[in-house]
Amino acid sequence: MITRSLLNIEPDSLLSDKTPRADLKIKIIGIGGAGTNAVGAMQLDNSDAVSLAAINTDAQALDSSSIVEKLMIGRSITRGLGAGGEVDIGKAAAESDRNAIAALVGDMDLIVLVVGFGGGTGSAAASIVAEVAGKTNALLLAFVTLPFSFEGSRRQHIAEKGVGELRKLVNGLIPLPNDVLLQEGEEDTSVLNAFAITDRWISRGVNSLCAMLLSTGVINLDLGSLRSVFQSQGGKTIFGTGVASGGDYVKDALDDLMLCPLLHLGDRPAQLDRILVNVIGGADLPITRVNEIVSQVSKRFGSREDIVFGAVLDESRTESLEICVLGKAEMERKAAPVKNPKGADALSPSETMEGLGFESEIAQDELPLLQPVHVSKLKGKKKTVNEDQDEFTFNEVDAQRGYFEKTDRNDYKDEDLDVPTYLRRGIKIKLKV
Amino acid sequence: MSQSRVVGAVEIGTSKVTVLLGEIVGDSGLNIIGHSSCFSKGVKKGVITDLKAASDCVHAAIMTAEQNAKTRVDEVFLAQTGSHLRGNFNVGTTNVGSSDSIVRSADIEQAKEDAKRRKLTEERTYIHHIQNPFSIDGQPVENPLSKEGDRLQVGYWSVHGDSQLVSDSLRVIRGIDLDVSDMIISSIASGAVLLEDSEKDNGALVVDIGGGTTDFVLYRKGYIVLTGVVPVGGDHITNDLSIGLRVGRKSAEESKLKNGRAYYKSGDRDQKVWLYGDMTIGDREYPLAAITKIIEARVSEIFDIIKDQLVEADLLVPADIASGVILTGGSSRLEGIDEAARRSLGLEARQSEGPQDVSPELRVPEYSTALGLLHYALTGQEDAQQSAKPVGIWNRLGSILNI
Repeated sequence: MITRSLLNIEPDSLLSDKTPRADLKIKIIGIGGAGTNAVGAMQLDNSDAVSLAAINTDAQALDSSSIVEKLMIGRSITRGLGAGGEVDIGKAAAESDRNAIAALVGDMDLIVLVVGFGGGTGSAAASIVAEVAGKTNALLLAFVTLPFSFEGSRRQHIAEKGVGELRKLVNGLIPLPNDVLLQEGEEDTSVLNAFAITDRWISRGVNSLCAMLLSTGVINLDLGSLRSVFQSQGGKTIFGTGVASGGDYVKDALDDLMLCPLLHLGDRPAQLDRILVNVIGGADLPITRVNEIVSQVSKRFGSREDIVFGAVLDESRTESLEICVLGKAEMERKAAPVKNPKGADALSPSETMEGLGFESEIAQDELPLLQPVHVSKLKGKKKTVNEDQDEFTFNEVDAQRGYFEKTDRNDYKDEDLDVPTYLRRGIKIKLKV
Repeated sequence: MSQSRVVGAVEIGTSKVTVLLGEIVGDSGLNIIGHSSCFSKGVKKGVITDLKAASDCVHAAIMTAEQNAKTRVDEVFLAQTGSHLRGNFNVGTTNVGSSDSIVRSADIEQAKEDAKRRKLTEERTYIHHIQNPFSIDGQPVENPLSKEGDRLQVGYWSVHGDSQLVSDSLRVIRGIDLDVSDMIISSIASGAVLLEDSEKDNGALVVDIGGGTTDFVLYRKGYIVLTGVVPVGGDHITNDLSIGLRVGRKSAEESKLKNGRAYYKSGDRDQKVWLYGDMTIGDREYPLAAITKIIEARVSEIFDIIKDQLVEADLLVPADIASGVILTGGSSRLEGIDEAARRSLGLEARQSEGPQDVSPELRVPEYSTALGLLHYALTGQEDAQQSAKPVGIWNRLGSILNI
């Protein structure tokens, strides 16, 4: 596990990573059909410095992919014909090629897994890849798409199980419910286009991540900053982006970020600790406007000191801005008792984050003793954190149920009635006038 | 005054706890002498999820009503809802005992017992046995006594609930030393006060859309033939809007009340509305279509589920539901809800105007269930079901739960 291996690293080195940028080794690995497609479709600004790889059981799908580094797993089991939606086959396939997976993930600083849950290969192989990668020193993040409602409850259940397994093995897991992402699309979006929309979201996230690590920023973010964010325990991983170009692109990008569906999967306004905010703008982005972005984002997501801010200027862009928010929402809320003087006792810390739909992280007992960032905060609070972990035994796939996140599923004819009907029906909602 | 008793009608709803106090004088007089309502806590989708929180607000509501009326409650009639409620239609059969083939009261009792013989598992408790028409040798008869025939049959619509959840709600009332005289499911209570006898005879579907559940009851030829609970209500509409419009619950609720409509019109696409409308930071304009499309999807789904259940029971016969759909409950205030019901169910539909024989402030849809409880407190339930005497409830549950 990655977290265990970090025990060998001095706290200081975590906070200020001295790795020269040029030497930073980043690998994006698509697992299974959807993951491979998403990575294949990726448009990265720093494509030279980032290596892309694909792992699949389906030989034909691998062959047709433009990704250079390909790993065919489980040939002896599937004869290259894919897992056919069977998780057991996907698992056996990955198990049989652990050594090859180890070779693929070795010697990296950052590994980003991209996987679509619900099918046979991705859902099962992802946790094995994560397990193998966890034995290296690399920081491990995963973008996971969750199936559309119309794909049926079988795939939903496979996805729920997969998320439960994977989140224990990675530093950060970003769930992307397809239903939620699709509401952004045009009304006549076909299913094929729908998947392209999801791919674009992943691409944006990965690109922003790479850009802030690899490009020379106005305000630099390095691997240490990233580690520090994902080293904190508890909480959920959040991810959101906002983009705009032309006109008042700063205001528009901020508006777009505030409307990002991934940041609005529930009830309460997001109050977050430890987040990375990265902006990618053109050379024409005035520094005063960068300040405006910092202050707006701080106001929305927490206090300024909790935000690790990065800004990258891309010479090839003009009048355009992309804001990416990535980080952790802590369970422990300093502000909660103040806001709820009467109900403070009844209000469990995790409840204050209710409905944000963010990912619960590594279980307490699996965390390393080393807590370089939050050691003071969490001291003496261990019991609380443990209790919260119990609260988080519900599955993160529930995020799109918002207010009903913690109640029993409301099953009717293979659908969960607590999930908004318009999401389940794929009805597009246009919010901009 | 010596002959009067004070009945508390209590509905522990998902969004509100509603209490009405009725003074029953003699056999026929009912005066509503107090009422109160407060926001619910610890209730989701019609089911108590936090016993203490729910108890606190129910007790507060009852005490407020008592203070208003300057009197004490003697007994409580309690509404029941939640998706744990299920119904079965059972037919009881008996061969007429006497040699002259004339139906006697013993035969009637036997047929009734036969219909109610079906035992439930320990986790389930009967709440109602609602009698449907008798038939003799396959021919429906209003009153079989002294009629001639060999085979007497009677149907019952029996409603049962989760024993634990039902006893939780009883516990809440017991917590302030009050006894529950009887419990009535919300839909039946609402239907009792919202429908005229003629409407029941012509056939009517009462749909009570509350905060967390939608309860419905179908009357056919004067009898209750089907009840049901869809565990979806106004809370779901608000949640959908909160997620869809990317706003908090409070703003979503306000948008629902201010701009909500139950169905989408093509003009909504071009009509712009303000999110808050108060010029504050963060206020933004967006197309009305965003709201109406989100609500339309949810509301039509609620009616579609009711439709499914009617169709399944082979009861969606427009001619037998001539009085149409009567909508009540807090969420029935939503603009265009009648039109949405019409579209989904293919039946005439209207928003209830409330019972006309009570003061205007009690005619609002929020009170129809509690008024129905008082109705049953006054008339008893002989017309609808096997009478469940005060001790009956606790005996039924007590033997199972050791309380």
